[in-house]
Amino acid sequence: MTVVNLVRGFVRRPGRTAAEAAALVIAVVVAFPLYWMVLGAFRPAGEIESGRPRPWTLAPSLDSFRRVFGQQEFGRYFVNSLVVAGSVVVVSGLVAFLAATAVTRFRFRFRTTLLIMFLVAQMVPVEALAIPLFFQLRNLGLLNTLGSLILPHIAFSLPFAIWMLRGFVKGVPEALEEAAYIDGASRVRFLWQILFPLVLPGLVATSVFSFISAWNDFLFAKSFIISDTSQSTLPMALLVFFKPDDPDWGGVMAASTVMTVPVLVFFVLVQRRLVSGLAGAVKE
Amino acid sequence: MTPTGVGAAVPSRVRVRRGLSRPRGGSRKYDAAPRPFGGAGWHPWLYLAPALVILGGLLLYPIYQLGLISVFRYTQAQVSGGEPTAFVGVDNYADVFGDEQFWSVLLATVLFAAACVVSTLAVGCALAVLLTRVRALPRLVLMLAALGAWATPAVTGSTVWLFLFDPDFGPVNRVLGLGDHSWTYGRYSAFLLVLLEVVWCSFPFVMVTVYAGIRAVPSEVLEAAALDGASPWRVWRSVLAPMLRPVLTVVTIQSVIWDFKVFTQIYVMTGGGGIAGQNLVLNVYAYQQAFASSQYGLGAAIGVVTLLVLLAVTLVYLRLLRRQGEEL
Amino acid sequence: MKLPVPAFLVAALFLAACAPQTSTNSASDKDDRHGTLRVWLFQEVGNEPKQKVVDSVVAGFEKAHQGTRVDVEYIPVDTRAQRVKAAFNDPGSAPDVMEYGNTDTAGYVHDGGLLDVTREFGAWPAAKDTDPTAKQSVTVAGKVYGAPFYVGVRALYYRTDVFRELGLKPPATLAEVASTARRIRAARPDLYGLVVGGAYTYGAMPFIWADGGELATAVGGSYTSAIDSAAARKGIKQYTSLFGDDNCPAAKCAGFGGNDTVTAFAAGKAGMAIGGDFSHAAVEAGAVKGKYAVVPLPGVTAGSIAPAFAGGNNIGVLKSTTHRTLAVRLMEELTSKKTQASMFDAMGFLPTFTDVREQVAAKEPFVKPFVATLAAGARFVPASAGWSAIDSSLVLPTMFQEVISGKKDVAGASEEAAKKMDSAFGAAG
Repeated sequence: MTVVNLVRGFVRRPGRTAAEAAALVIAVVVAFPLYWMVLGAFRPAGEIESGRPRPWTLAPSLDSFRRVFGQQEFGRYFVNSLVVAGSVVVVSGLVAFLAATAVTRFRFRFRTTLLIMFLVAQMVPVEALAIPLFFQLRNLGLLNTLGSLILPHIAFSLPFAIWMLRGFVKGVPEALEEAAYIDGASRVRFLWQILFPLVLPGLVATSVFSFISAWNDFLFAKSFIISDTSQSTLPMALLVFFKPDDPDWGGVMAASTVMTVPVLVFFVLVQRRLVSGLAGAVKE
Repeated sequence: MTPTGVGAAVPSRVRVRRGLSRPRGGSRKYDAAPRPFGGAGWHPWLYLAPALVILGGLLLYPIYQLGLISVFRYTQAQVSGGEPTAFVGVDNYADVFGDEQFWSVLLATVLFAAACVVSTLAVGCALAVLLTRVRALPRLVLMLAALGAWATPAVTGSTVWLFLFDPDFGPVNRVLGLGDHSWTYGRYSAFLLVLLEVVWCSFPFVMVTVYAGIRAVPSEVLEAAALDGASPWRVWRSVLAPMLRPVLTVVTIQSVIWDFKVFTQIYVMTGGGGIAGQNLVLNVYAYQQAFASSQYGLGAAIGVVTLLVLLAVTLVYLRLLRRQGEEL
Repeated sequence: MKLPVPAFLVAALFLAACAPQTSTNSASDKDDRHGTLRVWLFQEVGNEPKQKVVDSVVAGFEKAHQGTRVDVEYIPVDTRAQRVKAAFNDPGSAPDVMEYGNTDTAGYVHDGGLLDVTREFGAWPAAKDTDPTAKQSVTVAGKVYGAPFYVGVRALYYRTDVFRELGLKPPATLAEVASTARRIRAARPDLYGLVVGGAYTYGAMPFIWADGGELATAVGGSYTSAIDSAAARKGIKQYTSLFGDDNCPAAKCAGFGGNDTVTAFAAGKAGMAIGGDFSHAAVEAGAVKGKYAVVPLPGVTAGSIAPAFAGGNNIGVLKSTTHRTLAVRLMEELTSKKTQASMFDAMGFLPTFTDVREQVAAKEPFVKPFVATLAAGARFVPASAGWSAIDSSLVLPTMFQEVISGKKDVAGASEEAAKKMDSAFGAAG
């Protein structure tokens, strides 16, 4: 965009300043509970319960974070969580991309049935599936390994990822595909060098989703990592602070803060992909 | 660039040509109208194979087991081999349907989920459009705030919201001058509070997805609309929404599925279902009646019912879409 | 459009002959005298002192039993339900010895997970000093399934400064508790008199028991609810009458659980609260530090103590263990008098042996009212697997809240609760 364009855009869109102000106000509102969480993590012991809800703290303390980081094998849990969430993102992204291409670019028998099946899979309460899954994983010999977390998470994020990518694959004009073949591109080349970059924004949105759901999961970690704590994940470090009679809110807030940061880092890493998306690619 | 999958796809290309010249029975109907990429008999299955293996083994088979469990007396004692399993036919279902509380919970769940879905979609779409109208910095700020909300573990998010609205310790009542008004005592105000939290943690997904979808719309189209002086609502209604329909369909269906199954928010914020169970929703009900005390047979029956209700809702929605000319 | 799911169900019905998967968790016949023993203990928030005590017990045990290794793992309390179920399902992952909450005893026994150690417990010299209530918490249908590890019990916390200011004395009867609470509230409207909770079942139970009521009565091996008996109703009425603008407004207090009441007291928002010995740290960290004292919750007559619920944890041996003798011995070591005494010093856990408890009470005046409450006879929940269903489906909180919010009267709500309890007891067999 040239300078002239920029100026013209600004004059033609006087609403933009208002829009930006609105965006910032909304951001503040949305972030306020997060701020309260981080604040809770820094509050000295007893202040959360003190009955004076000040939006700041006079004596910030790192005690809660010390309790979080001081836990047995905290670093180990962190790495395990990264491995699980990372594998889930990569594998489910690639597998879903292929499957989404299949159901969008081909017409074949059972296509609709299959699509519905993908949805059905997510409609069952996870609690209800924990027992059958437990036996399945035991038969596969995966209990107590990170694999027992990675595989079910892939399975649970796939249907959603396929559905979502389907929308994005569909958005790529067929003319583009024809043009690619006329230019002599092979199917494989089209698939990976043309289609893949075009649906990348969708893939990024999907990966954020599967990253967060794998990263924050308690249920599978509680149910399938039974005897080997070295295979535990980060949320277990958070659960320690939930004591039935005396929950440690400072610890909960600090552990949650620690858990949220990597997601934000992950997002900042991928968000440029989200922004520079199809629009530029199609124009070329 | 050598992504995974290339190795598998190359030989298939050769075979597909052969497949095209001698189409198999099942796919002939479709081959009559060849498309640039489509029409190959088993080619799509090759692309689908990894997904099908994973889903078949880890989702469909367990769901089959779930159906099986729902017709057995199956508690922890049976699971761990303390007592033999016993076939009970539809007894578990009779128990579920015979409990009058189940029906009122089901109704509350449907209404609550519908309210959550509508609010989440409205907020998410509005903010996605807003994102396209601002420059990079405010966009990043809003995105990060939203991502933070999304990434917060549900149990923490619920706890923080509860703190914020606490009659004694929360800042919200102070700011609004509500004194020590309790948000969780009344049935509707408790549902409203939970709804706010649900929208807070689930609108980012809609926003990011729809924003990604808008980014995929050629910018010329949007610029043309903007130059014509169309209002944001107009642009959304006549340009974006139709182009985004596949994405919106997914987002809607997903929101329905998640909001129908909401658990943590209700469980944490209303103390396990509200005063005398007034804020129970289906998943919390299933947990309290069945899973917490390991009555898996009963829980599986509720799970199957949940599945059927959601399936019905989804199919109706898809049929409506189809009537509007949108096909799957 | 095809519907795959009904097809699945139909198939499932046809295939009903093949039952869902189960595990074979029969008691192991093996009794190895060497090898590794796996132990699961609960992970506390400040776990190091606990770990130190356990480490020294383990070191002594390994020294005494050559060729034995003990592998201790600390699991978050919040994950225990899934972990323990999984351990019952997959003996390969199961520990030999584990700590568990005493209200879970009957459920775990029903699931076939715990080993019957009646013989060994009877032969254990220390067992004779075990507090009868603690022993009741490891006993199901006359058989013993573990050894008590520590007990937790609740008593009445009150604000010394507020009492002095208003010229009040600690209440001597339950009726006085209510009248004192109202006087506090009348004089200091910013405070709850006695902070109570509609979901605070364990805080409400003493009222039912003090009036001579029972949760359920055992007939033969099975239980029948007694929550709708006249005596129990009197207790329910007495407890629910504390909810109101003259003490603890229903709009706020109906939803409170035990933890909320302690938080309110710690923040200086209440004149009195029913809190546990385990709440001590939370209250000390709050605004009322140095301005409170604890007495036993009084009973109906002056000088009596209302029976309190005896919470706490036990240590048991899993049925699937392949080291029966060693595992039972380790259980005894972990719950020995010496271990319990050092555990009190490290973590403040109240010992389950009456003599050890008296010794620690002499050392630490704070625990005196709690020890007195236990000595007066604490009570336990019905030892039926049905109790976990009653607990998790919130039968009693629902009953209290129905009365508090005016949706039902005491008779109607307790009748409904009794019906639900009976069906849970019946289902548990």
